[in-house]
Amino acid sequence: MANVAKKVSWSGRDRDDDEDGRAGETTPLLNGTGPGGAGSARQLTPSSFLRIGQLSNVDLNEDSHELETELPRQRPNEIPHNEKLLSLKYESLDYDNSENQLFLEEERRINHAAFRTVEIKRWVICAMIGILTGLVACFIDIVVENLAGLKYRVVKDNIDKFTAKGGLSFSLLLWATLNASVVMVGSVIVAFIEPVAAGSGIPQIKCYLNGVKIPHVVRLKTLVIKVCGVILSVVGGLAVGKEGPMIHSGSVIAAGISQGRSTSLKRDFKIFEYFRRDTEKRDFVSAGAAAGVSAAFGAPVGGVLFSLEEGASFWNQFLTWRIFFASMISTFTLNSVLSVYHGNAWDLSSPGLINFGRFDSEKMVYTIQEIPIFIFMGVVGGILGALFNALNYWLTMFRIRYIHRPCLQVVEAMLVAAVTATVGFVMIYCSRDCQPIQGSSVAYPLQLFCADGEYNSMATAFFNTPEKSVVNLFHDPPGSYNPMTLGMFTLMYFFLACWTYGLTVSAGVFIPSLLIGAAWGRLFGISLSYLTKGSIWADPGKYALMGAAAQLGGIVRMTLSLTVIMMEATGNVTYGFPIMLVLMTAKIVGDYFVEGLYDMHIQLQSVPFLHWEAPVTSHSLTAREVMSTPVTCLRRIERVGTVVDILSDTSSNHNGFPVVESNPDTTQVARLRGLILRSQLIVLLKHKVFVERANLNLVQRRLKLKDFRDAYPRFPPIQSIHVSQDERDCMIDLSEFMNPSPYTVPQEASLPRVFKLFRALGLRHLVVVDNRNEVVGMVTRKDLARYRLGKEGLEELSLAQT
Amino acid sequence: ALELAEELWDAGLPGDLPELEPECRSLLAAFAEGSAALTGCLSRRARPVRLCQGCHGHYHRLLAQYGSIARAVGNSSESHNCAKSILTSDRLQIVVTLLEFFNETWEAANCANCLKNNSEGLSNSTEEFLDLFNKSLTCFEHNLQGQAIDLSPNNYTEVCKNCNETYTKLNDLYNHLQRMNRQGGESAHSAHLCIDVEDAMNITRKLWSRTFNCSLPCSDTVPVIAVSSFILFLPIVFYLSSFLHSKQKKRILILPKRIQSNASLVNIQEKYS
Repeated sequence: MANVAKKVSWSGRDRDDDEDGRAGETTPLLNGTGPGGAGSARQLTPSSFLRIGQLSNVDLNEDSHELETELPRQRPNEIPHNEKLLSLKYESLDYDNSENQLFLEEERRINHAAFRTVEIKRWVICAMIGILTGLVACFIDIVVENLAGLKYRVVKDNIDKFTAKGGLSFSLLLWATLNASVVMVGSVIVAFIEPVAAGSGIPQIKCYLNGVKIPHVVRLKTLVIKVCGVILSVVGGLAVGKEGPMIHSGSVIAAGISQGRSTSLKRDFKIFEYFRRDTEKRDFVSAGAAAGVSAAFGAPVGGVLFSLEEGASFWNQFLTWRIFFASMISTFTLNSVLSVYHGNAWDLSSPGLINFGRFDSEKMVYTIQEIPIFIFMGVVGGILGALFNALNYWLTMFRIRYIHRPCLQVVEAMLVAAVTATVGFVMIYCSRDCQPIQGSSVAYPLQLFCADGEYNSMATAFFNTPEKSVVNLFHDPPGSYNPMTLGMFTLMYFFLACWTYGLTVSAGVFIPSLLIGAAWGRLFGISLSYLTKGSIWADPGKYALMGAAAQLGGIVRMTLSLTVIMMEATGNVTYGFPIMLVLMTAKIVGDYFVEGLYDMHIQLQSVPFLHWEAPVTSHSLTAREVMSTPVTCLRRIERVGTVVDILSDTSSNHNGFPVVESNPDTTQVARLRGLILRSQLIVLLKHKVFVERANLNLVQRRLKLKDFRDAYPRFPPIQSIHVSQDERDCMIDLSEFMNPSPYTVPQEASLPRVFKLFRALGLRHLVVVDNRNEVVGMVTRKDLARYRLGKEGLEELSLAQT
Repeated sequence: ALELAEELWDAGLPGDLPELEPECRSLLAAFAEGSAALTGCLSRRARPVRLCQGCHGHYHRLLAQYGSIARAVGNSSESHNCAKSILTSDRLQIVVTLLEFFNETWEAANCANCLKNNSEGLSNSTEEFLDLFNKSLTCFEHNLQGQAIDLSPNNYTEVCKNCNETYTKLNDLYNHLQRMNRQGGESAHSAHLCIDVEDAMNITRKLWSRTFNCSLPCSDTVPVIAVSSFILFLPIVFYLSSFLHSKQKKRILILPKRIQSNASLVNIQEKYS
C-alpha cells in the first residue's frame, strides 16, 4: 500500500503546485525515468497489479479509504475552471457492438428477408427525418416572421408617434423592454428546464457524433425547448440566427424517430426496435444533422458534407447516400410548405430558411484580377474571426466561473437583449443617412429624423431580423448605405454578436457572422469602387458575399462544407472558386491565432473529445502510461453482492468491467475472458438472472437481447434495483452476456496506436493486457483525450468533477 | 388613317409583293398611330408624372388595336392571317416589341392600381387623393404669395401653419391607401401605389419637409441619452457584482488511477521543454 500512498500524495501536489513544486520533483525522477530506469521500474509493478486485479473490490475500497485519509493533509484539490480539464460528467457511447451469445442467437433467428426489411426501414426513417426536420424549420420560420413582424410594427408605430410629439426615450424603453421580456422567457426555459439546449447545438452534436454521451442532448424535451428558445431569441432581437439550432433540432428528430418511441412522453410505438443501439442511432443522428443544415440553408449537398466534416466520425458510402436522401427530402419539404404558405403553391424555388438571393446579374461576374482582393478579404476575415473567438473565449471563461446560477444567466440574457435594442436605437438615432423610400423594398422603413418620404438607412440594418439584413446587404443597389453607417454597424454588431454567443439562450452564430462579414465586405466594396473611380466590376454586393464567407470561415473554421453551403445558398456555382479561396485563407490565418469557435467551446466544456489523430509527438508514451489502473474486474461467475457493491460504489463510477476467469485459487493468473457493461449488469440484476434461480428450475423466461434494448438508453440507476440480503449470496453467471472478444492492446503499444484503434472503432473500453492475457489496465476516452498538443508541446489535462 | 396606309404602301413596299392585305395594312396603320399617340402622351407627362391619369385612354386603345391585329383573319384565306403576317413573319417583330415595351412600362408604373377595375377612368380613392393634392398645392401657393413680400426664403412658418391640416390629411390618406394596397396584394410588386399618386406625394413631401422645412421632429436628445446610458450601464453593474459577489465555481480535481503518471509527465516535459 505504500506504493499507492506515494502516488496519491504526489499527484495531489502536482495538480496544485506550480512550476517550482514540480521542478523540485523533476530532478530526482529524471534519473529514474531514463531508458534503463524505466524498465526496472516497470518490472516492479506487475505483481501489485496482479493482486489488485484479482481482489479488485477489496483493494479499491482500501484505495479510496486511503485517499480520504490523505486528503485533509493536502491543499484542497479545488481549482477554478480552466480549459485544461476533462469533465467526469461525460461518458462514451457504446459504438462497439457487444457480440455476446444473445446477439448471436438473435442473428440466427432473424432470417435474410428480415434483414432486408431492416434496410427498408432505414430508408423510411431517413425520409421521415427529412420531412419532420423540414416541417420544424417551416414552423420556426413562420412563427419568427409573424412575431418579429408584430414586434417591429408595434415599435415602428410607437417611434413614428413619438417622433412627431417628442418623447422618443419612451420608444427606446418600449423596444428594450419588449426585447428583454421576450428574451427572458426564452432564457428561462433554457436555463431552468433544459440547459443543454443553449447555444447553437453544433458543438454538442459534434461531440455526440464523436462518441461522447452528452446528457439530454437528443431528447424530445430538448427539441421543444430548442425550437421555442430559438423563436424567442430571434424575436427578442438578439444578434443571433435560427440556422445553427436547426442542426441540433434535426439531430434530435433523427434520434427520436429512429428509436420509435419517446421516453419523455413515456410512449413506445413498438417500431424500429432493431435500432435501439448507440451505433444505429449515431448514423441516424448524422442524417438528422445533415437534414438540419439542408433545411436551414437550402443546401442538401452542403448538409451531407457538413455531417462528414463536422460530425460523423464513422462513415461509409451507403450511409452517405441515405444522409443525402434525408437532406433532399428535408429541403423539398421546407420548400413545398413555404411555397404554400407564401401563396404560390408548388413553386419550389425558395429553398432554405435563409436565401441569399440570386447573384446572376451582369455586375456580379468576377475576373482574375479580383482573386488577390478576395484572398486579402480572407485574411481580414481570419483575423477578425480570431479576434471574435478570443474575445468570446474570455467571456465564456468568465461566464463559466462566475455566472453559473440560472437566475444570473437569465438576467444576463435580458441585459444583452436590452443593450442590443439600445445600441440599435442609439445608432439609428444618431444616423443621418437617409434614403428615399420609393423603389426600395424595406420591410419596416423608419423615418425618424429623415425628411418625409425617406427612411433611415441604419434602421434597415438594425431594425430587422438578421436574416433580412444579410440579404439586404447582399442585394441592395450600390449607394443604399453610407460607408459611415456600415462601419459603425460592423463595429457594433461585431461586439454584440460576440457578447451574445454563449448566453443561455438557444441561438446560432451563422447569421451574425454572415451579417458582420457582409457589412464590412460591402464597406470594402464601396471603398474599392471609390478608389477605382467607380469601376463597373466593383459591385458592393459581391464583396459583401465574400466578406460574409470570410467572416464565417474565420469564426467557425469549416472549409469544405461551408464552401458548398455558400455555393448552394447563392445558387451560383461560379462563385465556388473565390469562396473556397476566401474560406481557405480565413482558416489558415485564423488557425494561426486561435482555434475555431466550436472546438473552443468543446474544450471549455471539458468534453473528452477525440480528434482525428493522436498528438504527433506522443509516440514515446505507451499504453502502460496512458491506461487507468488498477481495474475493477469481475469474475465470470460472481457473487451478486460483489456486483451490487461495485456498481453502487460512487467513488468509482465505472461503466465497463473486464471479466476474468473465475478461479477460486487466487494464486493463479486471472486471464481476461470478456467485457461486460454496467448497463448489462443492471439489466441482469433487474431480471434476477442468478445461477441459483436457474438451478431451482424457477420458471423463468430466458433473457433476450430485446430486454437490453427496452432499457436503452436510460438504464435505471443501481439504487433503484432492490437486491435482498439472501440474493446477495447468489451467484451470477456473466459468460452468456459479456462480450467475449473485447479489443485489447499490449502494454507496450504506443499512444498513437492505441488512439487509432480506439478512434477508428469507436470504442468505449480498451483493455490493456500483459503477455499472459491478464488485465493490467483499461484505456478509456478520458485517458486518451487528456493528451493534447498545446503551445509548449504535449500537455496533459486533469480530470475534474464538474 | 387611310392616307397613312396609302403612304406606307407607296413608300415601303413594291406594288407587286402581295405581302399585306388591305385590312391588315389598315390595322397596322392604326397601331402605328396609336403607339405614336401613346409615346407622345407618355413623354409629355413624364415630369411631373401624370402617366396614368392622362394616358390610360391611349393605352387601352392601343391594346384594343393590338387585339384586333392578333384576332383579325384576312377574308381571302387562312394563310393570309393578319396576326401571322404582321406579328410573326420576321425576326424583329417590331409590333410585339413595341407592345411589350408599353406593357412593361404600364406594369412598372403600376397604373392599374389607381384605375377603376374596368379601366374606365380613375378610381374613387385616387380622385379623392388628387383632389386633396391639388388643394394642398393651392394652399402652398396662396400662402407663398403672401410671403413673397417678406422676402425671407427660409421663413415658411406661415405655410406650415396654414397648410398643416391639408398636408396631414393628404399624408394620412396616402398611408391609408398604401396600407389597403399592401393588405390586398400579396406579391411585392403590387405593394406600390400607382406612380402618379406616389410621385404627387413625393413632390409634396419634398416641398413640405425640404423646401419649407415644416416637419421638424422634436429631438429629445437628453432623455434618450439618459435612458440609453442607464441601460448601457446595467451590464457593467451586473458583471462587476457577479464578479465580486458570486462564488467562483471551483472544480474538484479527481486523482486518476495510474501508474507512474509522474514519470510520464516528467518524460513529456523533459522532451518538449
